[in-house]
Amino acid sequence: MSRRAAGIVLGAALLLVAAGLAWWWAGGRLRRLGGSAGSGAGAAVPAGPQTTFAVDLYFPVETGLRPERRNLTGSDTPKDRIRKIVQALLAGPGAAGLVRPLPPGVEVGAVELTPEGVAYLDLRWAEHDDPPPGGSDAEMQAVYSLVDSIALNVPEARRVVLLWNGTQRVTFSGHLDTSRPLSPDRSLIAH
Amino acid sequence: MVSSCAVTRRRPLASLPLLLLLVPVLVIAQSPRATAPTGPPLIGVGSTGSPTVTLDGHEVRVPVNLGPGGPLFGLKAMTDALGGELVAGETGESYTLKLGGKDVVVGLGSAVVTVGDSIVSLSQPPTRGEGGLAVPLDFLAKTYGDLSGYSFDWRPGEQRLVIGRRSARELPVALDVVHLQGMTTVVLQFSDVPRYHLNQQPGRIEMQMLADRLAVPSPPRKVEDPLVKAVDIAPERVRIDLAPEAAVESYTLENPFRLVFDVHGQSTVVAPAGPAFPTPAPASGIHTIVIDPGHGGTETGAIGPGGIQEKGLTLLLAQALAGRLQQKLPVRVVLTRSEDVNVPHDTRAAIANQNKADLFISIHLNSSLGAGAHGAETYFLSAQATDTRAASSAKSENGENAESPERAEKTGSAPAEPSQDDLRLMLWDLAQTRHLSESQRLANLIQGELNETLQLKDRGVKQAPFRVLMGAAMPAVLVEVGFISNPEEEGKLQDAAYRADLVEALVRAVARYKAQAEAPENPSPPATGAAQPAPAAAPPAAPAKPPAAGARPPGGARQP
Repeated sequence: MSRRAAGIVLGAALLLVAAGLAWWWAGGRLRRLGGSAGSGAGAAVPAGPQTTFAVDLYFPVETGLRPERRNLTGSDTPKDRIRKIVQALLAGPGAAGLVRPLPPGVEVGAVELTPEGVAYLDLRWAEHDDPPPGGSDAEMQAVYSLVDSIALNVPEARRVVLLWNGTQRVTFSGHLDTSRPLSPDRSLIAH
Repeated sequence: MVSSCAVTRRRPLASLPLLLLLVPVLVIAQSPRATAPTGPPLIGVGSTGSPTVTLDGHEVRVPVNLGPGGPLFGLKAMTDALGGELVAGETGESYTLKLGGKDVVVGLGSAVVTVGDSIVSLSQPPTRGEGGLAVPLDFLAKTYGDLSGYSFDWRPGEQRLVIGRRSARELPVALDVVHLQGMTTVVLQFSDVPRYHLNQQPGRIEMQMLADRLAVPSPPRKVEDPLVKAVDIAPERVRIDLAPEAAVESYTLENPFRLVFDVHGQSTVVAPAGPAFPTPAPASGIHTIVIDPGHGGTETGAIGPGGIQEKGLTLLLAQALAGRLQQKLPVRVVLTRSEDVNVPHDTRAAIANQNKADLFISIHLNSSLGAGAHGAETYFLSAQATDTRAASSAKSENGENAESPERAEKTGSAPAEPSQDDLRLMLWDLAQTRHLSESQRLANLIQGELNETLQLKDRGVKQAPFRVLMGAAMPAVLVEVGFISNPEEEGKLQDAAYRADLVEALVRAVARYKAQAEAPENPSPPATGAAQPAPAAAPPAAPAKPPAAGARPPGGARQP
């Protein structure tokens, strides 16, 4: 075999190896992010084109929650919709009488969505180990503002697990059991 | 030069087979079969040889199930060999091991067990195996090891469990007796945490050492006290002889470990948080009520605009309620905390269960994120909470378990539904599920009294997945007596007279509940263990409906 032919063979082999490594890396990453490609709702797919979608954000009021219609812009993946929804909630309402569910400074950390329809939302609040203290109603308003806004706007997310600074807590702030996925509670919503 | 060129030409050719081999290796690694299973381990029986169990060098017949999670041992056979009494629960899903004066409650599929008033996590849940209930090694260590002084050495290479008896420790103990303001306090201070059991008899209380012995202080201390006649310390026990009519309550302090007895000259005392002495099983009716002052310690609860913290007011209200209940009704009242300390939610329910309470009332003050909210509301556990967890538990049992979010965070993989946690807590969920109807009835009575007496805005009876209610094995409610976030109500709640009115309303509600429960036409049936269905998914915010037909009368149904 000539030197030129050997070079061509070696180049082809290296290309094959590189392609295999890329496939392996990408496949493993997809599995970590929510299941194998094409597994449905929770499968992580690359961010798609930016679209505008209408959502009802459920903000606390004097008693319970009240929806505020918003148009949000983002990619059309369920995970990105969840992130945009929570970011909009944390930014606060536009209408009078509605209040933000959590204090300024709370930010969205990781968002994950399993193929089973469980959304994991990590809330981050620098220099605060615990969520803000509150009574039962305040806690339910804060928690279900997030849970209802996610689960009632993103069909792929049926239940929500809240993490606080990366940790799943037994209760959010002393009442609600947050050690398990929470389903939306429509009874809190005042129309 | 020639040889150098030849080497250059041969290098790519020599590497080619190696490089081509790498590709299929990567393909195989990528295939689904290479993915590690994420489901729970399946327990097989004796898949590799015949495991054996020896006690003091002699083989004993104990079924051993081997599996990826470790060995599981037949508890019935172990009880026959090591002592104790194993009693199956009414549903067949739970068992009580009576050992060393303590009840060890274990549920099938739950990796959480109670040992006395302590909650213990296991490495894997007990399961049904050959010879009945099969438990993991750490269960044996935390029961027979801690309570009876046995040692357990599992030797995987030999597939042999070697059971021996630990050499007893000799613990120095110091005694102090102080009499102040009509109460005597007896303090036993130890160099290490002892394993013991308390026996109470009329006029006497005895601390029985289980696996340790005491170094008797010399010379023995002579006690001259109006309420404590003598304290006798022997290697195997401490005996405290009490004056007639003296009542005693005990608690422990840490660092160093101290066992404290408060001896009163009267019988009506409010027991503090912690273990209570065993009481005889009462007849049907309402005999013991556990009052839970919400929050405490670093957990302040809600904070009013004037800076008043929920945890302080809940303690005041709970203490007042405990006192009035004991004055007005022939009941025993236990508080889950009597000072400003953190008490975990599950411990609060465990205290109620351990004291065999007939009612559990958690006292809270509310707050809202919106301005202006006011009034009282009463919660009982939402059916959704128990339904969801039961479904998760079933899912776990069906092998659909997956990585916990905590583990997922560490590994970087996608978190999955925490059904293993759900499984661990199933025992507690089932505890409250069977009492939902009665919890609703108690909530209705309390809400009605609060509305009528105080003319508060009726916010209704509601349901929510509140953690503190989940493990209570008796009718259980959480009462929000007012909004501390409302400046007007915050002011009222600081008024002792207003709080007294709230307390009286709660006392009347409990009295009505007790009267209904004990009415001749409404006898409490014996506990059958048949779980009553949760109230049919009533809208949580809607006023609660009357109890469902066929609802269990109170007082008779108690978690085994």
